[in-house]
Amino acid sequence: MTRMVALTVNVHGLGPEAATEPASALYGRFAHGNYTYHRGLARLLDTLRAAAVPATFFWPSSEAERCPALLELCLAEGHEVAAHGRAFEDPTTLGAAEEAAILEEAHADLTARCGTAPVGFRAPTGTLSAASFGILHRLGYRYDSSNVDDDAPYALGPDGAPGMVELPLNEGLTDATHFGRRLTQSRAEAFLTEELDALLPVDGFACVTLHPRGDLGLAREARIPVLLRLLDRARSVHGAEFRLCRDIAAAALGPDGSVTWNGKLR
Amino acid sequence: MDAPSPRGPVAPKPDWPGGAACVVCVTVHMDGPAVEVGRKQVPLGIHSRGRYSIRRGIPRHLGILARHNVPATFFMCGYDAELVPALMRDVHAAGHEIAAHGYVHEGWDLGAEEPELLKRTHRILSDCVGEAPVGWCSPSGRKSALTLPVLRRLGYIYDASEKDDDIPYLATVDGAVSEEMVILPNNTVSLDDVPAYREGQALAVEVLENWIQELHAIHAGAGYLHLTYHPRSGFGSGGPARAAIVDRFLREAAAMPGLRFMTLRDLAAHCLADPGAWRR
Repeated sequence: MTRMVALTVNVHGLGPEAATEPASALYGRFAHGNYTYHRGLARLLDTLRAAAVPATFFWPSSEAERCPALLELCLAEGHEVAAHGRAFEDPTTLGAAEEAAILEEAHADLTARCGTAPVGFRAPTGTLSAASFGILHRLGYRYDSSNVDDDAPYALGPDGAPGMVELPLNEGLTDATHFGRRLTQSRAEAFLTEELDALLPVDGFACVTLHPRGDLGLAREARIPVLLRLLDRARSVHGAEFRLCRDIAAAALGPDGSVTWNGKLR
Repeated sequence: MDAPSPRGPVAPKPDWPGGAACVVCVTVHMDGPAVEVGRKQVPLGIHSRGRYSIRRGIPRHLGILARHNVPATFFMCGYDAELVPALMRDVHAAGHEIAAHGYVHEGWDLGAEEPELLKRTHRILSDCVGEAPVGWCSPSGRKSALTLPVLRRLGYIYDASEKDDDIPYLATVDGAVSEEMVILPNNTVSLDDVPAYREGQALAVEVLENWIQELHAIHAGAGYLHLTYHPRSGFGSGGPARAAIVDRFLREAAAMPGLRFMTLRDLAAHCLADPGAWRR
C-alpha cells in the first residue's frame, strides 16, 4: 500500500475577523491574522523548502489581495494554489445565486493571479451548502477538501459532482484544532502524532492542515520543530510521500469519473 | 495591508541594548478587584480572585522578582490604584514600571467614552506613584482608532496590545507611522498564563515546559521574549504552585548567555532612539 500525505495550508490572515468585525476593530485580539503576512506564511514557506515538502495552499481571494507577493512566493516555490472562497462568507447564510457569484469571483481572481485556474477547493468557514458542489463542478474543479467524513479519497459523484474527488481533511491533524484550545506545544504534538500514527496505516492517506497565523498555527518559531518532527515521522516511520492535492486527485480519478484509492474503488 | 514584508523563518536579531542576544520583558497584569467591579460583580466570595493579587499574589511575586533581580512592568487598573495606593507605591519603589491597563479592566467597546477613561487612569496612576505611565496594554486586547492618538497626546511611548509580530515595530498613529511610539507585541498565544491554564487546562509544569521551549527558540532567533502573568487566583499565577513556575522560569532565563531583563519602558526608549531600525 502506498502512503501519501497531503500537506495543506489554510491561508488565513485577518480574513476570519474581517468577515464579522469592522475594519476599525482589527487590532489586538482581532489582529492575530497580521502575523500571517509579517511572519507566519514566509516562515512556513522557508520551512517547507528546507524539508523539501510540496504543499497545497488554500487561498481566499481577499487574502491574495492583501499579500499578493506571498502568493507569488507560493507559486515560485512550486506549491499548489487552490481556492478557498472570497472573504470567509458562510455559504449556509447565502442564496445559491449569491454563493455562485462569490465562488465565481474568487475563481476568476485566483485564475488571473496564478495564470492557471485552481482545480481544488476547501470551504473557508468549514461549512458548505447543498449547492456548493454543483457550483464547483460547473467551474471545473476536480477536488474538494472540506469534508471530515472518511480516511481516504472518495468520489463526489453521489454528492452531485461527477468527476470530482473528495480529499477528506482530518481535524486531529489540523494545528488549529489543538492551538484553538490553547494547548501547550507538547500536548498539541502528542495529539498530532497520535492521529498520524493511527491514520496512515488504515488506508495510506493523511491530510495535514496548517495555519500561518500566530495563534492557531504551527508557524511560530518555537513551534516549527513540532512541524519538522511530524513531517519527518510521516516519511521515516510511515514511509509516506508528500504530494500536492491536485496530483493525488488526478491519480485517483479514472477517465470515467470513478475514484480508486490503493486498489479499491471508492 | 500595503506591501507585505515576508521576513523568513528565523528573524534576524535586531540591535538589542548592550548587544544582548535576547531581551526578556516580564509583564505582570495585576488585574485586582477592578476586573470584578468592571463586570458589575461584588468582589467577594467566588468573585474575590482579584483580591488575591492584593493580599498574596503581588507580595509573593515582588519577592520572586527581587530574588532574581528582575525589573518588571506592572500593568495596573486605575480602580485598583484608588483601592490600594500603598501597594502601587510598594511596587514602584521596588524598581518596577507602573503602566496603564484600563480603569476597571474595560475590555468592551467603549465608544466615545474611551478617551475619558484613558485620561482618568493616567491621572490616577500618575498621582499615585508620582510618575506618569508611558505604556499601555489593552485590557482584553481590544483597541479602537481613537486609542493610540489619545495615548500619544498623553505622552505614551508604547502600546503592548498587539500579538502579530515577533519583535517591536513602529506604531501607526492617526494613519501615519510614528517615530514617537512603538508597538511592543505581547505573546498571549504561548507566553501568557491565562490561555494555557483556563482554556488549555495545562498543569503548571506543562506551562513551564512551554515557556522554556519559547525561551530557547526566541533566544536562538529574533530575541524578544514578552512574558505575561497575572498574580490573581483562579486563572492566574498568584498561588504558590504557579508562582513557583514563574520562579523556575526566571532562573532558567537568567542562566542563558547574553540575556537581558528589562522593562517595556526601557525597551521602548531603546527602540525610539533609532526609530528607523524599527519600521515594519
